[in-house]
Amino acid sequence: MAIKSSLSNMVLVLTLVCLGASAAVAVVYAVTKDPIAAANVAKTNKAIEEVVPEFDNNPSEEVLNIVADLQNPSETNKVYVAKKGGEIVGYAVESTTKKGFGGPFSIMVGFTPDGKVYNTSVLSHAETPGLGAKITDKGSHFITQWKGKNLTDGSVNLAVKKDGGDIDAITASTISSRAFCDAMEIAANVFNNISTEKQ
Amino acid sequence: MSKFKYLIDGIVKNNPTFVLVLGMCPTLATTTSAVNGMGMGLATMAVLICSNMVISLLAPVIPNKVRIPCYIVVIAAFVTVVQFVMQAFTPGLYETLGIFIPLIVVNCIVLGRAEAFANKHSVGESALDGLGIGIGFTLALTCIGLVREVLGNLSVFENKFSSSDGMLVFVLAPGAFLVLGYLMVLFNKLKDRKKKA
Amino acid sequence: MNTLIVSPSPHVHGKESTRKIMGDVIIALLPAVLVSIWFFGLSAIHLVCVSVLACVVFEYLIQKFLLKGRSTVGDLSAVVTGVLLALNLPVCSPWWLIVIGALVAIGIAKMTFGGLGQNLFNPALVARVVLLVSFPVLMTGTAFHAPESGYLFGNADFATTALDATSGATPLGFVKEQLAKGVAMQEIMATPGLSYTQLLFANMGGSAGEFSAIALLLGFIYLLCRRVIKPWISLSILVTVFVFAGILYLGNPDKYMDPVFHLLNGGLLLGAFFMATDYVTSPMTVKGQVIFGIGIAVITVLIRTFGAYPEGVSFAILIMNATVPLLNKFQPKRFAEEAQKK
Repeated sequence: MAIKSSLSNMVLVLTLVCLGASAAVAVVYAVTKDPIAAANVAKTNKAIEEVVPEFDNNPSEEVLNIVADLQNPSETNKVYVAKKGGEIVGYAVESTTKKGFGGPFSIMVGFTPDGKVYNTSVLSHAETPGLGAKITDKGSHFITQWKGKNLTDGSVNLAVKKDGGDIDAITASTISSRAFCDAMEIAANVFNNISTEKQ
Repeated sequence: MSKFKYLIDGIVKNNPTFVLVLGMCPTLATTTSAVNGMGMGLATMAVLICSNMVISLLAPVIPNKVRIPCYIVVIAAFVTVVQFVMQAFTPGLYETLGIFIPLIVVNCIVLGRAEAFANKHSVGESALDGLGIGIGFTLALTCIGLVREVLGNLSVFENKFSSSDGMLVFVLAPGAFLVLGYLMVLFNKLKDRKKKA
Repeated sequence: MNTLIVSPSPHVHGKESTRKIMGDVIIALLPAVLVSIWFFGLSAIHLVCVSVLACVVFEYLIQKFLLKGRSTVGDLSAVVTGVLLALNLPVCSPWWLIVIGALVAIGIAKMTFGGLGQNLFNPALVARVVLLVSFPVLMTGTAFHAPESGYLFGNADFATTALDATSGATPLGFVKEQLAKGVAMQEIMATPGLSYTQLLFANMGGSAGEFSAIALLLGFIYLLCRRVIKPWISLSILVTVFVFAGILYLGNPDKYMDPVFHLLNGGLLLGAFFMATDYVTSPMTVKGQVIFGIGIAVITVLIRTFGAYPEGVSFAILIMNATVPLLNKFQPKRFAEEAQKK
């Protein structure tokens, strides 16, 4: 039933199939490009809304790229600035830790301009369901304990209590809790660098 | 009647998960909850129907020696399409299943049906076969996901019926193997009983 | 030609001999059971009774209604599994935890494979690991401590110091965390209640069967005298742990636990004496048994020292269980095989 497997036939058919497939993918890409971008922006905006006080600007348009570690200026973190009536009401800092139990995870940390944590939100993670994944549990003590803590003046020792710090870890998920502290520390460094950059 | 048989075959007699035991990677990895399993099953079904139809159309003009590369290109194209569509319109589901979607390309079921069925049958029959196998796969994944969710997280379709934690082992990888094994036993037992009756 | 063919396990045992062996194992486990009852009173009795009862009931029900075979409850193997399971659980486990454990041990690890003699993995250990992974909060940390009033004679010192310092307070977990903080081994051992004599007779944190090294040793000697088990597996585990941990300790005494602590702590003795030596799930030849023991010891020390869990004996035994069919192929050529070739 199939046509003869001569070289020219094979090259021709394979090329045509590839062209057809690429064309189909290209069309779908063009159609879905805008909805995908919109979905991503919506996701970021939702996370920003959760972590900073009420605002009336569009923080996705006011993005600063801030270095967390001054020794390593090639890696920058995104900072979204939230304003109400022109006044800055908060900064939402994206922060990624590589120390998670199931691989890297990203969180969004909201700071008020005086350096206090307003709220946090997990953007993406691969922690163990039922254990480390409790970092996404918004009402849990682990998440709420951060609210109002000032991470920028050195008053909080950013480590779990097991390691001699001030943070209550999630029971049976010490590694995820440590990673979360690491992400918070990165975010705090980023926040500090915003202020230094402005001066 | 005979056409209808292709559909039923895919669900029971040739059930991809419990009978053919194909496509184990997504089966084990994505069934942490019923919704995830169903999402993966439906995505695979969409790819399967489209690729089956296109391949049965193209089969007469594809030279024998390059048929596998051609099938893979067709399948990969449809997987990418499904990925874009999910990313655009169901971002939540895409988040959970994201890394497994590209793996549909190497899911043995899709290539297996192309090779074993679609290139020998008409477009309509191939579509029915894809639909049947797809439904069988989706049902199997949803069942596995449901059992794992009920035991591991004490919830049904993400509605928790108890606030305490379940047996975590069922949400983790070992539980996937256990549940798959016991469901396979059950399925084949019921199937045999039906045959005898 | 008449040739005697000896195939690797599983072998079919005569019912009477199985029963006799199992009876001996139960007698050997009694000292350990009695010690935990001595310390924890009612809660330990509750644990052992629920565990044995659940194992026997599940064995009977599955045999009768699912497999529709003759009941094998009489061979006492379910009772042994029940006692071993109880010794592997925290004393204050809730009843449902024990029942789930029994269902996993009998239903998944034993009956699914075809009952006694067919199982690849030690049933009580499978149950322990499934519970450990499923309910980490109940199976580790403070769950190991009975309420203060539960102690029959007091050792509140260790309990309170350890509990204050950490939330996971088996001696192994406690020491591992202290080491991680940079406290040297000698300083840690100065913690009240954490002396070697204490560990030898009765240490406070751990599963029901991990309390007293002496009690476990008594049972082991009884089994040896009755010729129920041969000592090779247990000896090779203990020697290898001692040597391997000793090398690490000599390399850097500030960072690693000393070998005696390794030997006396956690489930090592229970595992080496009673779990690893299980007939069905251990190799047949002496050579195989020694390799089996060394493997268990190395994996245990690796998990304890570098892994995320403080204790690794159960994982180590299960991993090595999987290699048993392979180890059985290491057998020296038998007379019959030589004869067959000619």
